[in-house]
Amino acid sequence: MYLKDGIRGGLITFGIILFLNLLGLPLTAESSIVPIFTVLVGLFALLLLRSRAGQERSLLNASVNGLLIGIINGIGLVIVTYIFARMQANAIRVNQVFAQILPEHTGALAGLTKAEVLAGESIWPGMTKIAVLFAIAGLVGGASIRFFTEKGRKRMDSISASSFGHYTVLILPLVFFALFLSLRIKGVKIGGAEENILGLLLIFLFVSAALFALRAARPGKEQIALSIVFLILLVAIPQLTDLFQNAVLGAVAIFVVMGVGLNVVVGYAGLLNLGYVAFFGIGAYTFGLLSAPESYVLVTLPAFNGVTFWIGLPIAILVGVITGILLVIPVLSMRGDYLAIVTLGFGEIIRLLLLNLRDYTGGPGGVLNIPSPIVFGVDFGNPKGILYLGIIFSGIVAFITIRLRDSRLGRSWIALREDEDVAQAMGINLVAVKLLAFATGAAFAAGAGALYASRQVNIFPDNFSLLVSIDVLCLIIIGGLGSIEGIVLGSIALIGLPEILRSVNEYRIVAFGALLVLMMILRPEGLLPSVRHQRELRGEEMTEPVTSSD
Amino acid sequence: MALLEVRDVHSYYGNIHALKGLSITVEEGEIVTLIGANGAGKTTTLRTICGVIKPRQGSVSLEGENLEPFKIHEIVYKGVALVPEGRRIFSRLTVYENLDMGAYHRIDNDGIAEDFDRVFVLFPRLKERRNQVAGTLSGGEQQMLATARALMAHPRLMLLDEPSMGLAPVLVESIFETIQEINREGTTILLVEQNAHMALQVAHRGYVLQTGEIVLDGTAEALRNNPMVQKSYLGIE
Repeated sequence: MYLKDGIRGGLITFGIILFLNLLGLPLTAESSIVPIFTVLVGLFALLLLRSRAGQERSLLNASVNGLLIGIINGIGLVIVTYIFARMQANAIRVNQVFAQILPEHTGALAGLTKAEVLAGESIWPGMTKIAVLFAIAGLVGGASIRFFTEKGRKRMDSISASSFGHYTVLILPLVFFALFLSLRIKGVKIGGAEENILGLLLIFLFVSAALFALRAARPGKEQIALSIVFLILLVAIPQLTDLFQNAVLGAVAIFVVMGVGLNVVVGYAGLLNLGYVAFFGIGAYTFGLLSAPESYVLVTLPAFNGVTFWIGLPIAILVGVITGILLVIPVLSMRGDYLAIVTLGFGEIIRLLLLNLRDYTGGPGGVLNIPSPIVFGVDFGNPKGILYLGIIFSGIVAFITIRLRDSRLGRSWIALREDEDVAQAMGINLVAVKLLAFATGAAFAAGAGALYASRQVNIFPDNFSLLVSIDVLCLIIIGGLGSIEGIVLGSIALIGLPEILRSVNEYRIVAFGALLVLMMILRPEGLLPSVRHQRELRGEEMTEPVTSSD
Repeated sequence: MALLEVRDVHSYYGNIHALKGLSITVEEGEIVTLIGANGAGKTTTLRTICGVIKPRQGSVSLEGENLEPFKIHEIVYKGVALVPEGRRIFSRLTVYENLDMGAYHRIDNDGIAEDFDRVFVLFPRLKERRNQVAGTLSGGEQQMLATARALMAHPRLMLLDEPSMGLAPVLVESIFETIQEINREGTTILLVEQNAHMALQVAHRGYVLQTGEIVLDGTAEALRNNPMVQKSYLGIE
């Protein structure tokens, strides 16, 4: 029995917990800090005790080491909290050094409010609870590595391959949807005050489970029937949700459109584009400048009354494509890191232009009062309308992308990603193929930008910072590079979930990083990977033969 | 008219004069080999024919048509297929997809299907492994795949760059047998090799390349019996 891993893991985990403590997480998260820390300890135990290739850890070994990780963390946190509490009681001003160590802080860890701390409540019952919870979390985390080992995975596969498991996967999304509906029945309270957040979570779960179910469904009747059911439910969702939920879902949909576009550039053609936000910004500003009443274009041309959304959209897309092509010209001969840096610069240039061409773009003051889309006389400028448009846009771009992927162009993108030189030797015109990849991505982003401008009503250069590019890149990687369904999952995880975790919103970036690291270790191919990427990363044979010539 | 005619070509890498007035011709239906030591300019010759390097002087023509104005991918359309040095297969695609990429520029689906059958007859191993990721193939199988991929372009002229590199002797022999087989089916072959012994056994004619210049040419038979070739390339004193 080796306890070394448990001790080492416990100390590593405790270091991270302590760091988050000093950053001020307990104060931000308030009462939810105990569950957050508990989950973290469990996750770390799981991660650190993961079996290395070829050596499987026994259940007993994993559990004992996991328990050890939990205990070290529990005891460590109690000791640290006790020391800080004593120091504060003795009027030693630690908070000048560690600004976040305040009485209410230590209190939050022990499950007490500020008033209770000041009233001199004992921290011990709360701290005991934390220690025990951590120990349990470590034990559970350690024990669950069994599910991530080869043997465990095979067992899980055999369960989902059985007909019982198969139908459970198919039914699960409907269960989530039913739960979501039940929230709307008067008198039934599941979520308490935070009901709309719980509802949102259930919708996310429904969509995610539906994507997995569609993947698991047998091709043919089963898949078609499920698709129809899910489509009807998806169309019904905006009718059943409130303003807040629609607004969040609308943002998720806009990012899906962008993700699908970037996926063409990065996922298929393998051209790392870090300035993707530029096209999003260009789309938004093109539509904004052509339609907002006080924009430069409308003010200088008094006879011009501005365009509607449906005229502005194609213009925005066209301008996006043209800038996409302009960007390609200097980067044609670049690959990998160099391309990433040039595109990164391009993204920043566009943002700085928007910020500094004050006379034309309004500078930091942005473009105000952008009109909303009108469909057959109905104003779609509300969260519900934007969500519908977002769903339709996502559907259209997903359809186009799937058709492109399966075409000759799609194959040439894949060849380009694999080996540029050989791709040329196969008769692929590098210039045209790169150009088309960038232009497609730019078109989708510009379209998403126009919709975004219309959703925000007022847009500012800061809406188009580097972080948006990173967000989109992260979401396609998390979802599974090259996989369209994966993009929806990634968008939910990176754009939707932070809204649910409002109380820890400041830690979104920390969560991003942690999620990416975890993902890349446990599931490098993404949450719902495309068959191709899964095969590439795991080096397995294709499960189903591709179409053949005989 | 010769299928391929390289006339007085001078190619450079920056300031390095790699090919110094090189001329070769390949007639339809031949196997012609280009032998020479490391750095003699063998690969550079192939790169010049493919259009990767544009010669500063001289011309490359296919059936009398000057290839100078054409881009790399357009030269592929003209019927020149390259089996690159070190195989360079798409290692993350399946065998089938690799072959499919070879036929990328073609639109005659029936012809593509025929060529699939043809390469699977030539290389039964590839048929067995058609759905396997190409990177997991053995070295010999990868060379077969690279050759088969070039065949899928249905070329008139196939350029083979060091097909024996890094392969076990028994595999080298089978690769050269396949090259002859492909040639018998009507594809003209320009073979670049360091393994002069094998190359001169399968080729009809040969050129000996030294520091960017042709120093000897003739039938394979004549080259095999040439004392200079025997001493320098065949290891016969």
